[in-house]
Amino acid sequence: MLQVQNIEKYYGSKNNVTKALDRVSFDVEAGEFLAIMGASGSGKTTLLNCISTIDAVSAGKILLDGVNVAGLSEAELAKFRRERLGFVFQDFNLLDTLTVEENIGLALSLNHENPRTVQDRVREMAQKLGITGILEKFPYQISGGQKQRAACARAMIAGQSLLLADEPTGALDSKSSKNLLEIMDAMNRDMGATILMVTHDAYSASYAKRVLFLKDGRVFNELLRGGRGRPVFYHEILDVLAALGGDVSDVI
Amino acid sequence: MTLSKLSIRNAKRQARDYLVYFVTVVMAAALLYAYNGLVFSQEINTLSQSMQTLPLMIALASVVVVCVFGWLVAYATKFMLLRRGRELGTYLLIGLENKQAARLFFLENLAVGGCALVFGIFLGGLLYQAFRAIVLALFALPYRFSFGFSLPAVGLTAAYFALIYLHALRKSRKYIRKANIHDLLYCDRQNEGIVIQTGKKRRAVFTVSIIMGAVGVLLLMAGGALFGVIGAGLVILFLFGFFLSFASGVPAFFDKRPARKYAKQNLLVFRTLTAKLATVGILMAAISLIFTATLISEGTGLVFRGLFAGRAADAACFDLYIGMNGPSRDHTAYLDHIQKNIPVEQSVLYQVHFSGAPTVQNYISARTTYYFSYAQDPVLRYSDYAALRAIAGYPAVELKPGQYLFHCQTYLEKTLKDYTKPLTLGDTVLTPGGVYTEHLSQSGGDTNGRGYILIVPDEAVEGLPVHHRAYAAKTSQPVRQEQYDAILNLHNEIVEWNQPQDTVITKAHEEMGLASQTALCVFPLYYLALSLTMTAATILTIQQLSESERYKRQFALLQKLGMDRREMAKALRRQFSIYYALPAIPPVLIGVPFIVNLARIPEPGVMVGANSPLAIAASALAVFFLIYAVYIILAYTSLKRNVLPEAV
Repeated sequence: MLQVQNIEKYYGSKNNVTKALDRVSFDVEAGEFLAIMGASGSGKTTLLNCISTIDAVSAGKILLDGVNVAGLSEAELAKFRRERLGFVFQDFNLLDTLTVEENIGLALSLNHENPRTVQDRVREMAQKLGITGILEKFPYQISGGQKQRAACARAMIAGQSLLLADEPTGALDSKSSKNLLEIMDAMNRDMGATILMVTHDAYSASYAKRVLFLKDGRVFNELLRGGRGRPVFYHEILDVLAALGGDVSDVI
Repeated sequence: MTLSKLSIRNAKRQARDYLVYFVTVVMAAALLYAYNGLVFSQEINTLSQSMQTLPLMIALASVVVVCVFGWLVAYATKFMLLRRGRELGTYLLIGLENKQAARLFFLENLAVGGCALVFGIFLGGLLYQAFRAIVLALFALPYRFSFGFSLPAVGLTAAYFALIYLHALRKSRKYIRKANIHDLLYCDRQNEGIVIQTGKKRRAVFTVSIIMGAVGVLLLMAGGALFGVIGAGLVILFLFGFFLSFASGVPAFFDKRPARKYAKQNLLVFRTLTAKLATVGILMAAISLIFTATLISEGTGLVFRGLFAGRAADAACFDLYIGMNGPSRDHTAYLDHIQKNIPVEQSVLYQVHFSGAPTVQNYISARTTYYFSYAQDPVLRYSDYAALRAIAGYPAVELKPGQYLFHCQTYLEKTLKDYTKPLTLGDTVLTPGGVYTEHLSQSGGDTNGRGYILIVPDEAVEGLPVHHRAYAAKTSQPVRQEQYDAILNLHNEIVEWNQPQDTVITKAHEEMGLASQTALCVFPLYYLALSLTMTAATILTIQQLSESERYKRQFALLQKLGMDRREMAKALRRQFSIYYALPAIPPVLIGVPFIVNLARIPEPGVMVGANSPLAIAASALAVFFLIYAVYIILAYTSLKRNVLPEAV
């Protein structure tokens, strides 16, 4: 579904170039739940920004369903993002002037869906994610976990094929984190959502089916969960992180 | 780094961040200086006797203007203080005393105010030259550019500025001195709060405010002091009720209509707007009120100017005119005096007759508003009419045998062109031969008719009763003020105080009167209008630009969610247009009927052409929106640049 081929990304001017991504390549299959891990500054967010088309790569190709995103115009990119990609951010990124229902409905509204059906579709999705009771509330009236579930609903409601999650549990307490990850797992399992999650939290990553480790802009290692249970996978991830020499504080 | 260095650096940054505010304060200084220039100008105050009251009028207007600018500066200072609370709190956190932080804030604001004053006085010097050119043009005097500063005007402007700034800074100084670190660090989180919460109350307030607005406008239009005061009170209540309930009412409207809510960019536009309005409802009402006052000031200024111009244009068509009240008045004293003292090129002494019946008057009265001055239709001999036309400098007109002509004010032209009845004077029957509308002194009881006069062949007036006698002359030089006064003195000798008075009009005196009256009412009213519009538009703009960061975050997120940049620009434009249109709509709805009604009060025939009620309302709107548009364009370009994300 997603093919990342030898991408490179540089920042800075002539005399002071920083290489954020260095020949990164990997594929994501449809229906897969992939986590990308790495310490701060390893290039996780840059990679996610490039895949989400809000940043351009310096070299290499990103193909989504065979379409090279680098070849698209600004308007095509916008269309591509709203139709194909769903986002979940660490700081929720819900619009504080809109109610939860409106925040979710916004994704449909941007896609020019029939305005008459928006409310019903939002309610249907809210029911699946267990947030029906907070639809009328504003973001400042609900908890972080509820906000993140609303963000998941927004990311999936327009039928987006790839969900990009940037540290989705970063601002949540452990209970809410667990709850959110179970919801993401269910979305992946029951609704067939393809999820690409960037995280530096081993516990979050253990929910994925495959984990890629980034270090200094390069893919350093790859772990497949296979038939193993989540706790076992979690310990394997911790082992890799230890080998990676990441900051211990990054490994919860 | 010393405190003063930090102050100067902050002042520079502040001027850049709040450019619109800084420009307005500079303009305020320029306006204050230019008007003070008029107050202290010997050249202008000695142009005519009535111009000596101009300083008083401007001083009175200045009281209001200083209050308005005082409010603006106090508002903007407090606004910036709240937005910079975190920064000031940080100063306290690293060990600065409250006293020192207050001093820092005081110094940097003083620096901004001082710079604005200096720039403003320079700009005001130029603006004063423009005012001088306008006044001299009104008096038909030559203008020569000469740049200079009037020390008393500079002094008074500085004094006004000191008042404005010290008032604002005293308040903020007190605030900082008393504030604790926590208050300062979190003061940007304070909001006005939603005043009216529940739906039922909201609907009631909305309905009641609309009714009060309608009744208020009707009372204002009805005129009279009592009605005026009650009407104005109701309009004020309407504005506050409307803005407080409107901000809470719109979400309720869309909640009931989800299909509309999710169509196009409605959701974003209405939510952003109502979020803003919910916190600044009272401010929006105050701004709307200021706009209403502005529009009414501008309209009233134009109505007065139109009134003076309309009356003067009609009266001042002859260099010298004397209307002698009653047919038996002895005119020889006037004529002897004029012959001795005023060089006359051409003159005519003539009589205005009565036709015997008010046939035309009845016809006119049935069709249009008409003020009566004569019991019957007034009639003038063709030869006298031809002489009057020559004296006034109009081309000759022909009167065909068996016909009569109308000479009327423009407002009766159409009505009289449709008049087809023959005129019977004794044995003579005449048919209508045409209508002429040049100014011919036609607005009184001893002038050439009231609004209209019938021009008939000389022989047709034989035997008709004489209503009054009149004298008109073309002089080789304009009649000077002292010559005019001498004729008036002669009039007072001839005519006893308890007898009907004669009318003495000179073109020069009328034109000078027009110039003085125009300057006296238009300058102070426009002074008010300009200051009010600038203040209100600046506050609106500061409010809008203060949301830049939030809008920027919002559009960055929308870009990620795949909103097209064109759609973002469209949503921003819509949201922006509604934000700026909202406070301007009630003033237009209130101001336009008020101005139109005011312009209809003078006698018919005065407010015509460019001074007709609708034209005046349109001009007032044009002036208002011209100034408003400058602020809207400035704010929009700045917001668009800061808020919309760059393309990838």
